[in-house]
Amino acid sequence: MALDESSKLGWVLRHGTGKGYGWFRKGAKTKLRDLYSFSLEVSEEDAAVLNDLKERVKETARVWRAIEESKGACWYSQPEISSLSDSSLVSSLSVATLANAMHLKKLIRKGIPPSFRPRVWMAVSGTVTQRSTVPDSYYSDLTEAVKDKVTAATRQIDHDLARTFPTHPWLNSPEGHRTLRQILVAYSFRDSRVGYCQGMNYVAALLLLVLKSEEDAFWMLAALLERVLYSDIYSENLYGCHIEQRVFKDLLMKKFPRLAAHLDLIQFDVSLITTEWFLCLFAKSLPTETTMRVWDVLFSEGVKVLFRVALAIFKMKEAELLSTKHVGEAISIVQDTTNRAYDPDILLKVAFEDLGAMTMYIISEHRKKQQPAVVAELEERLQRVNSPRSNRPTQVLL
Amino acid sequence: MATTGTNHLQAKLVLLGDMGAGKSSLVLRFVKGQFFEYQESTIGAAFLTQTVAVNDATVKFEIWDTAGQERYHSLAPMYYRGAAAAIIVYDISNLDSFARAKKWVQELLQQGNANLVMALAGNKADLSSKRKVETEEGKAYADENQLFFMETSAKTAQNVNELFYEIARKLPKAQPAQQPAGMVLTDRPTGDRFAIKSTCCA
Repeated sequence: MALDESSKLGWVLRHGTGKGYGWFRKGAKTKLRDLYSFSLEVSEEDAAVLNDLKERVKETARVWRAIEESKGACWYSQPEISSLSDSSLVSSLSVATLANAMHLKKLIRKGIPPSFRPRVWMAVSGTVTQRSTVPDSYYSDLTEAVKDKVTAATRQIDHDLARTFPTHPWLNSPEGHRTLRQILVAYSFRDSRVGYCQGMNYVAALLLLVLKSEEDAFWMLAALLERVLYSDIYSENLYGCHIEQRVFKDLLMKKFPRLAAHLDLIQFDVSLITTEWFLCLFAKSLPTETTMRVWDVLFSEGVKVLFRVALAIFKMKEAELLSTKHVGEAISIVQDTTNRAYDPDILLKVAFEDLGAMTMYIISEHRKKQQPAVVAELEERLQRVNSPRSNRPTQVLL
Repeated sequence: MATTGTNHLQAKLVLLGDMGAGKSSLVLRFVKGQFFEYQESTIGAAFLTQTVAVNDATVKFEIWDTAGQERYHSLAPMYYRGAAAAIIVYDISNLDSFARAKKWVQELLQQGNANLVMALAGNKADLSSKRKVETEEGKAYADENQLFFMETSAKTAQNVNELFYEIARKLPKAQPAQQPAGMVLTDRPTGDRFAIKSTCCA
């Protein structure tokens, strides 16, 4: 009852994680910078969540430092551990290595502290391995060889530099533009089939902010596109992205049949919003540290993580979404949820504990099933676009 | 598709056009009255809403602002499916963007919704010294294809509200079968007072 009364007076009770709960004035806004220097204007309630988060990040860093002291520096980069996620070597590993790997997986789900991220990401994503197959001068040779070349991709990259997180102080500096450009241009030549796809700019920008090294960010981008994500996600026609969207809808229907049926009823095609999630790996939708926490697990456990997080967002708002009558209402609920997901632990708990089993095998099977439909859909559009007939009624003037 | 209440219409509106033509800037100007020289590039599409009042009725636009890069075009059907209106945007200082706009017009004409209200917007009208597409060219193409045409500037706000209000006025007429009995929609001459009822943002 007290809660109702106080709500009327403009105060709300926040049920907190971490440091309990507190009272906040409704509607008051606070300006602050997040852990990556993005400026935010948030409610006092959200500001408190962000402050809690900062404290928890410090605590995580203490835990990681203690482990490093007992297990030795770079304990997480033993090749046996980092190859676990993409090989079937498990049976040949020693019990101690397996225990180490399980420990690492659990720790990563709780979040890698920002100061450890560069080394841990490079190790668990396979970036280190990938880089070791080419000469040390690969990146500098590549950037030197392509520096004056102009292609369709370089023109699009130039167009997007100032449009990639334009409010971030470093990304919006000449240095930020130059660095981001080098990475994207180099990658467009490394894989000319992908070239440059909008979306990669946001991913590369966040990689730069975390890794603070142009060359490391280039290699992580390469590992992401070539080892972590399914191929073709950014390719011409976004073929892989179309498949991902259909697979996601299959999974949504399987996990939450009632919700899927309701969304279908109000004609909410979830791809309308989930496409951006999969193409930017949530970089444009979730708050920065939450995105980073998703990436921690993405690099360590693979692409199924994207599906888990996307499903978790819908799961968190299932009851509210079931009561919507119109597509616009449902979209606003989902967008508000992603924009304000300042506490990564709430989202990741749902993603990893409340969704049941979802293996890479299941996703691969769904992908295989959807491939013919996507090919047919893309071809149908091309034929329609190229056909000369118009369905517009001819205006008859009498 | 536009759906009607007693005097309230909900209309899905999609913006299509080349990368950098100013689609997001037009929407941001219309919905929030803001303009940024460097607008974040759109991935997939962005969703915003805005309600306007015309002819004693309100129209709530549910706006899908799509990504302009060529490879994103394969996603477009998802956004224009069921749309009541479409704005095809080009940049008057960029000939390629005008060619791209024509392709969008042709694609929409093929897609089977004969009632779709279509507008062609020659944006960046403030860049007259860099103009590559003459007003007459845009107008002639629009007339040929029965679209309505306006030159706009998201930067100076020129014709931005006018564009969306003109669409709002044309909507009910384009959906005669969906007007419930008792809905009075008079066909007033253009120039009624603009009144933004409420603002909602993404």
